Amino acid sequence: MDVVPLSFPSISGTASINPAAAITPSTAVQAPAGTDTEFGSMVLDGLDRLEGLTDKADGLAVQAATGKLENIHDYTIAASEASVASQLTVALRNKGIEAFNEIMRMQV
Amino acid sequence: MGAFDTLRIANTSLGAHQVWLDALADNIANVNTVRSTDQDAFRATYVVLDPRADGGVDVEGFAQSSAEGRMVSAPDNPLADADGYVRMPDTDMSSQMSQLVMAQRGYQASVQVTKTAQDTYTAALQIGAR
Repeated sequence: MDVVPLSFPSISGTASINPAAAITPSTAVQAPAGTDTEFGSMVLDGLDRLEGLTDKADGLAVQAATGKLENIHDYTIAASEASVASQLTVALRNKGIEAFNEIMRMQV
Repeated sequence: MGAFDTLRIANTSLGAHQVWLDALADNIANVNTVRSTDQDAFRATYVVLDPRADGGVDVEGFAQSSAEGRMVSAPDNPLADADGYVRMPDTDMSSQMSQLVMAQRGYQASVQVTKTAQDTYTAALQIGAR
């Protein structure tokens, strides 16, 4: 029995496929210049702002108690701001501690 | 624009509506204030508002109704002049009452804005929370 050798037709157009482009290494993440982006100082800045807001709300609460408060909404809005700001600061702190614990659990 | 701008803007609106309510209370309180004809009539106060460039509203000032008022014949009144006339404020009570409802509704709407703002901020704090 004769064995007929297989012949493959040549596929045209394969030459146009380009070789994969060389992968360039990613550039290192750089902090924006001029601002202090350290996590600790960001939290401290937040605490400073929070202190200002709570001081304002406290002052208005004293005015309300002594009958010197002119507008009720001045106090309620200052208290709302202070409340949201303190929640935000606590959320930041929790996230920081979470990240720290994650690093501490890392196997070396 | 700060993080609490919605609250700040709502605060200016609450302040403006509070001033408006105060002015209306004064106008309604004096709607029956009688003066003699040689005096000025009670002048009703109208609040003039002004939008802020960075959002919110300011009380620009106050406009006042005419001092001429309305001449009313009341010969029995001890303040009446020789012809029996006294001077009453030229205040339209139904207009004042309508404005009172408008000011109250505006105030309530601003309170709702503060509630919504606080809900929004609280929702933002839930992002990434476990």
